[in-house]
Amino acid sequence: MLHTLDQHTPVLIQGITGRMGRFHTGLMRKYGTNIVAGVSYRGTDTEQDGIPVYASCGDALRDHRIVASVAMVPPLKVLPAVQEAVEAGIRLIVTIAEGIPVHDALKISRIVKEAGAIWIGPSTPGLVLPGKIKLGFLPDVAIAPGPLAVMSKSGTLSYEVCYRLRMAGVGQSAWVGVGGDPVKGTRFADLAQPLAAMPGTRGLLLIGEVGGDEEEAFAERLSAAGLDIPVFALIAGREAKEGVSMGHAGALVMGDTGSMASKTRALEAAGVHVYRSIGDLTKSLPGLLRVEAAPRGGLSSTES
Amino acid sequence: MLLIESDGKELFKAHGIPVAPSFLMESAEDECGPLSGAGAGQWVVKAQVPVGGRGKAGGIVRASSEREVRAAVRAMLGGRLKGHEIKACLVEQAVSGQEHYLAVVVDPGRGGIRLMYSREGGVDIESVAKEEGKVFQEAMALDRGLFDQALEKLSAWIEDENAEPIVACARKLGAMFFELGLLVAEINPLFVDAGGRVLAGDAKVVIDLNAMERTPGLMDMLREHQAWYPDAWRKIQEDFDFIEIDAQGSIGLITTGAGLSMMLLDELIARGARPFNFADVRTGQMRGDPARLLTMFGWLKKASGLRVVLINVFAGITDLEEFALTLAKALDRSPDWNLPIVARLIGNNEERACAVLQGRAGRIWIEPDLEKAMDLAVELGRAA
Repeated sequence: MLHTLDQHTPVLIQGITGRMGRFHTGLMRKYGTNIVAGVSYRGTDTEQDGIPVYASCGDALRDHRIVASVAMVPPLKVLPAVQEAVEAGIRLIVTIAEGIPVHDALKISRIVKEAGAIWIGPSTPGLVLPGKIKLGFLPDVAIAPGPLAVMSKSGTLSYEVCYRLRMAGVGQSAWVGVGGDPVKGTRFADLAQPLAAMPGTRGLLLIGEVGGDEEEAFAERLSAAGLDIPVFALIAGREAKEGVSMGHAGALVMGDTGSMASKTRALEAAGVHVYRSIGDLTKSLPGLLRVEAAPRGGLSSTES
Repeated sequence: MLLIESDGKELFKAHGIPVAPSFLMESAEDECGPLSGAGAGQWVVKAQVPVGGRGKAGGIVRASSEREVRAAVRAMLGGRLKGHEIKACLVEQAVSGQEHYLAVVVDPGRGGIRLMYSREGGVDIESVAKEEGKVFQEAMALDRGLFDQALEKLSAWIEDENAEPIVACARKLGAMFFELGLLVAEINPLFVDAGGRVLAGDAKVVIDLNAMERTPGLMDMLREHQAWYPDAWRKIQEDFDFIEIDAQGSIGLITTGAGLSMMLLDELIARGARPFNFADVRTGQMRGDPARLLTMFGWLKKASGLRVVLINVFAGITDLEEFALTLAKALDRSPDWNLPIVARLIGNNEERACAVLQGRAGRIWIEPDLEKAMDLAVELGRAA
């Protein structure tokens, strides 16, 4: 549903009256996101900065058409928040909080799957379709419309990479933070085709980390399906300490599982350009983007 | 986070899963009580560090006398295995029997969990799983009812007389997995003797640091053994990440963001440098209070090989001027701080942040380009 989002998409903020909720609501609106309502779990607010505030998603949905929600609630409140949003009929839920218990994430996965909704997160800065909509807090300084679709486990590493690519003249067609937790709503493999299909996309960048098997699963998907654009990857954590979560709960290497070697091997076998440093990537990537997007409908591209 | 074996086995015992008689030694001179009366037993001395492949790395040694036990403990303690200092050894009565495999794990790909069992344990299960029919695997949602159904399927799959004790063990392992909100509860090898008795030969238990509020027992365990989990305990205490990577490292990192900080480690080491630590400071939580920076200064000052500190903050949202003022405050309160600092600050209000720091006396280099900042830190890290 990524390609259906734009500046008109009606968005709800859960936890809008919290310190973070209020602050980021302001920034998202400034970016152009159409925030039509908020939910406050304090139960006493009816309006904030001109946005109507409700006591529950169900109440908000009675007055507004809402497609997406950004949940800005503390980690132990994410499970009930997502449950409520899904039950009210919201189709896309972005959860920002870091520190959700993994068993809660498993329960959320099940709820979302059974409802046929989409969950981005946890522990994510969110997503942006440059010039259209921002759900979360990806930094404006790194955002510009352009040909690169980006997906990343890490917020900061993607900020750094996208900022430097922007300085090199390469912006994004879409940018999605999948989050640094082991169990999440949307994984790299789920995004391969939707991101590649975003209009104007001429390359796909995966910014991964050691731990788990998400990069390997993405490589498998790529080998099976194939994309008609070049795919790039940067993986952090070559020097990670085994047995310890490196800041992100998902960045945990145990033996060969989740190791840099395993990920690099799988990605390279699937034809991905894998880089060892930010500098190598930002130097090489701009010249490797597909020269011109193939027109939809299967006509061949006119490469010059 | 992966628990060390002896803590994993304490949890097993508490949940009714048998383990071999054992005791811990934190010094080669520690009491060997159970050994002396045990006669001519065979013992296994195991380094207590949270990593896989300890056997191959020399962290598991057999011993047949008290003298051999003490020699093995002496040889291991204080050494390092895959970056972890060995602070304790588990001395365990040697066990024999068939080696099986049993595990309940989170399955991130499916957003569920998985019950796994194989008659061919004691080795890397991935390699066994490549062969058709060697590993029982049942994937399901996180649901106790579905788990009970999976146990019935496991029982039917095993078929022979061992089904009952193995399924009973799996039931206990599952109860522990649900109760403690675990990511991994793995027994490899699971010893099965001729009488059908089972015993956990090893314990690989991965706990969820984000669920600790719900599991006070686990929190008590970590508190008691905080010396074994310095990185995790620091995180619990301080609510940010600081992981020691190289005790002799010369570059201290005060950096934000887990992914970017990991990448900096990789890139610094690729340049031949030796970073001391990994960090994710979370500047957004500091709100002008220098306490967190002072805490880090304290840890960094204790690092004997440290020559320079690299600060990297990409401020998408947080205000760099506020960070710079906080850093200045922290430096004002650290009159004995004498290491050079390379600061790379980029994002919101970077000009004003640089002005704050440039006005200070002392050795702070401000470098907006990350590559140059790393090069400079590497150079200062080398300088005598």
